[in-house]
Amino acid sequence: MSRGFIRRVAPLVIVGAAVCALSAQQTPPPANRTPRSASPIDLTGNWVSVVTEEWLWRMTTPRKGDYTSIPLSDEGRRIADQWDPSTDGSCKAYGAGGLMRIPTRLRISWRGDDALSVETDAGQQTRLLRFDRAQAPGSRSLQGHSLAEWEPVGGQPVLRNGRAIGAAPPQGGTLKVVTTNMTEGWLRKNGVAYSENASLLEYWDRVAFPNGDVWLIVTSVVSDPRYLVNDYTTSMHFKREPDGSKWRPTPCRA
Amino acid sequence: MPRVGRTLSSTILALLATASLHAPSSAQGQGQAAPPTMVDLAGSWTMSNEEELLIRIDPGPELGNFTGFPINAAGRQKALSWNSTIQAVPEHQARPHPAQYSMRGPGPNFHMGEVIDPVSRRLIGYTITGLFENANRTIWLDGRPHPSEFAEHLWNGFSTGEWENGMLKVTTTHMKQAFLQRNGIPSSPYAVMTEYFIRHGNLLMMISQVDDPIYLDEPMVRTQTWRWNPNQREQPIGQVEIAEELPDLKPGDVPHYPLGTRHPEYADANGLPFEATLGGKETLYPEYVDKLKEMMRAGEKRGSR
Repeated sequence: MSRGFIRRVAPLVIVGAAVCALSAQQTPPPANRTPRSASPIDLTGNWVSVVTEEWLWRMTTPRKGDYTSIPLSDEGRRIADQWDPSTDGSCKAYGAGGLMRIPTRLRISWRGDDALSVETDAGQQTRLLRFDRAQAPGSRSLQGHSLAEWEPVGGQPVLRNGRAIGAAPPQGGTLKVVTTNMTEGWLRKNGVAYSENASLLEYWDRVAFPNGDVWLIVTSVVSDPRYLVNDYTTSMHFKREPDGSKWRPTPCRA
Repeated sequence: MPRVGRTLSSTILALLATASLHAPSSAQGQGQAAPPTMVDLAGSWTMSNEEELLIRIDPGPELGNFTGFPINAAGRQKALSWNSTIQAVPEHQARPHPAQYSMRGPGPNFHMGEVIDPVSRRLIGYTITGLFENANRTIWLDGRPHPSEFAEHLWNGFSTGEWENGMLKVTTTHMKQAFLQRNGIPSSPYAVMTEYFIRHGNLLMMISQVDDPIYLDEPMVRTQTWRWNPNQREQPIGQVEIAEELPDLKPGDVPHYPLGTRHPEYADANGLPFEATLGGKETLYPEYVDKLKEMMRAGEKRGSR
């Protein structure tokens, strides 16, 4: 190796090492951060549904066969048309696929460092949004198995050769949740169903308006190859409440 | 200069160059604001919400259906006096949808375009085109102030935006007196709208809050979602030919229902108590479900006597 080569390369090596050291100082090693400590937004607390959309279909039990706005397949329509009104109030309306559209209050808290618990007073359900991907799903259930991850607003960075391309992602972020392993449930209280083949994709966001109101928004995409002809996309908004004084647990019917 | 000295000096120069690359972050630590981090929102977006389809497209909302709106007594009175015949008055036939409603329907499937400063190449605004009757919007991102309170009010108002943790927060003022829903639920020129546009990969979610001290008891909040659709093309602007549709209308007449009018048809058609269809903030919260059930049971008992 010639001395000239060393002279040309040495500065680059030193600069490279310096840049690596600087980068290492700026970004704490991810291994030391739990999902809880890495939370870009705080979703915990008390929230209430404010039903400004689809009021008729959410505040009341719609009539049998009213599946307005839901992209049902023929099979999905057949199931909806078989609904028995005497089953109104069934816990099937409180499964993960339809739960967030029920008028309800939410109580969100951390369960340990790697799961968010989402409780509803309507139907007295608890969803667990788990960050630990190693945990086995277990048997099918009304709330299914929800895997959560923090994601930068805009989506995950585009990688090339293992490196992110573009500007650094913004601070803040969103909670992305994918739920599978659900038992059959209802999208509406009148028995418009999703099958156990359904999956649920959600994004949970938090914003604050100038009047001081803080809102949680859940964007929900239900995919069901059996009962839907395309994704069923909705978005629900919940206003933050100072405490749980309006919490009124009401059971559903098994 | 000896060779070792030259190597040392080139190393120092390279380190200085590296340090200069990191200078902004050091400066930020000394009180300068960090540049906002934006998320690209440009492109064509197709409405993907499966909510209120019959309300947001045709036939549209029913007369007297004010459910879901926190309107106050003044808003209710104005909404009850609204008569759809007013849309046939020549001056109203080509009206675009106002900013308070235009992101709601029909569709809308819109294109978000960039306004780029020709010199700095910085993004200084977004345009939203493809809204009903060309109700296109511009959202200024260059820090310009809103106009004087005495400035003209427009269908699309005046919008400015700022980045907040990758979310685009838009503030719109100077909107015209118009509507929040196509069945006469009013919005006053004093309303201020705040929106957040939040992108999740191929999904774009927007939450809007209309704060109107004249017609609302509390701000009206709605959400909608679009899916990125590079194959979408804007439709031509609907050409509206103004026609004389109300030959008997005398100059100065304004189609309306007189004060005190009730519109019970929506309540009757859906088995709802009339009071529940009149909106109001109380009707938006979960505790109203039980009250509604009681009212409906009482109504059934009255009906069975």
